[in-house]
Amino acid sequence: MVALARKTLIYEWRRFLPAMLAVGFAGLLQLLQIALVLGIFGSTSLYITGSSADVWVGYPGTQSVGSGRTISADVESRVLMDPAVQRVEPYIWVDGDWRGVGETGGVSVFVSGIDPGANGLMFSKALPPSLRARLVEPDAVVVDRSALDQLGVDIGQTATINGHPVRVVGISSGLRALGGVNVLCSLDTARRLNDDPADNGPTYLVAKLRDPSKAGAVAARLRGATAFGPYTTWSADDFARLSVLYWLFDTGAGAGVLFLAGIVFLVGAAITSQTLIAAVNGSVREYATLNALGVGVAALRRVVLEQAFWVGALGLLGASVLGLLLLMLARSQDVPVVLNVPAALACIVLVMGLAAVSGLAAMRSLRRADPATLLR
Amino acid sequence: MHPATASQQISGPALFAEGISKAFVSGQQRTQVLDGLTLGIEAGELTLISGPSGCGKSTLLAILSGLQKVDSGRVHALGSELGQLDPRALERFRLQHTGFVFQGFNLFPALSAFEQVELPLNHMGLSRDEARRRARVSLEEVGLAHRMRLRPSELSGGEKQRVAIARALAKEPELLFADEPTSALDAANGQMIIDILHRIAHAHGTTVLCVSHDPRLVVHADRVLAMEDGRILSDRRTHAAVTQSKEIPS
Repeated sequence: MVALARKTLIYEWRRFLPAMLAVGFAGLLQLLQIALVLGIFGSTSLYITGSSADVWVGYPGTQSVGSGRTISADVESRVLMDPAVQRVEPYIWVDGDWRGVGETGGVSVFVSGIDPGANGLMFSKALPPSLRARLVEPDAVVVDRSALDQLGVDIGQTATINGHPVRVVGISSGLRALGGVNVLCSLDTARRLNDDPADNGPTYLVAKLRDPSKAGAVAARLRGATAFGPYTTWSADDFARLSVLYWLFDTGAGAGVLFLAGIVFLVGAAITSQTLIAAVNGSVREYATLNALGVGVAALRRVVLEQAFWVGALGLLGASVLGLLLLMLARSQDVPVVLNVPAALACIVLVMGLAAVSGLAAMRSLRRADPATLLR
Repeated sequence: MHPATASQQISGPALFAEGISKAFVSGQQRTQVLDGLTLGIEAGELTLISGPSGCGKSTLLAILSGLQKVDSGRVHALGSELGQLDPRALERFRLQHTGFVFQGFNLFPALSAFEQVELPLNHMGLSRDEARRRARVSLEEVGLAHRMRLRPSELSGGEKQRVAIARALAKEPELLFADEPTSALDAANGQMIIDILHRIAHAHGTTVLCVSHDPRLVVHADRVLAMEDGRILSDRRTHAAVTQSKEIPS
């Protein structure tokens, strides 16, 4: 079979270049946008993804990690009764007002009270063991490197949270928060920092399972009991997704992503389809001749669609190479960018969909390839 | 040299048009191009339709080849009535039975001469080897054996038209239609093209119908139909063409 579509694409590459560039930049724009949004909003699930807990227990209706309410401490024994559970620990979230030594005014901080033991689940992936051990000290806190200027402190200095004195004993990295600053301390310190007398239980209980793959089933099993007061459960994956989605759509960023995806699709498809239409028009007499010789319109359409496919694939290749380079550059400059498989797939679907729509539009101009017009 | 001439006389004409009429409407203007024309074209000979531009000869070719529908009348080609076929069936008919050569060569710039010829054969359900064999034989027949790897930009006008003829010929069609095949060529190349068409008719028993206003072609045709204002003015047979036909370079 003579590869008409590919040979034409290679021979007349200049003709197809605008379409490939349009597809490529559409893909690149979308890729970077998704990576940025995921990077920025991914930090809202850091508490979950940076920890090794498989199941989370919290107040029913909780919309994101940062908006929890206290539950009864008795729930812990209910959770521990389940044979699949290996370990349970409380996690206390306190919203605090930070007053540092520097001239910073008040800073809104998210205090995470965690088990400072060596086997602690919370932040086990984000906090080095030596730093965690230092939290055992009363009123000791760890803050993130990215927030030092904002908090106006350095290691060894003191400040107050909600009026209680704290001392910075360590500096972590990769614990950047959205809309505030993360401060880590022990469970005991966190209880002291909480000035609301109504809060007398943990905000969450986090559990490690013997078999992490059963998180969904165990979370479902633990749900629904009311004897210990209101609570509900999530698998860690579900709760992380819940938190990210809450931020994406609560802030309007999600709508922004979808809106831009639509614009990118329209602009890309407009340029690509025009280029493909011009390419079809440039060969319309040859197509008409093939049709005169009995080559069916369906076969000619396939040629146009195949060209659209290759334009999409080549544009995608260019976007991937350039995108990876830019993402590496962003990473090296501490710009939060994250790319996961679903997001990459979404980009691929968008770009190939754009190419397909353009190909279908170009196919319509094949109607001009009427062999009778060749006879004058 | 004429294996087909004996059988052609006992069978009917390969192409037969019966009382065909065709008019074109442009705004308020209605132009009757063909009016009740009846015509038979025999297999195994080169029939030339000549006449001034606008006389309806190209329209007649489009109708006889099934590219255009008639307003009234009937066209029989190889025993099928073209008016009865739907567009799909017409495409299939053209694929199986007809070849075309146009005034513009209409070759894909990206393909070599060999690929131009092979491409339509791919759609005929031939095996790859058979398609390639036919493409090679056809290009050899039009004297382009040594040029078959070249793209159109590397070929002269005459060579391009020979590629176009090879593309039509490789399908081994019973009907071959040519529309002004020499008008874009100089005398020598035009001569070569008409010789090839002539030889195809005689060697393969193909019905070759050529439309041209080029007076140089008249002497090479087996039969010349002179057309004017949608009517056939004269229908002449000439035997000079056969003896004057030159060997084709290969």
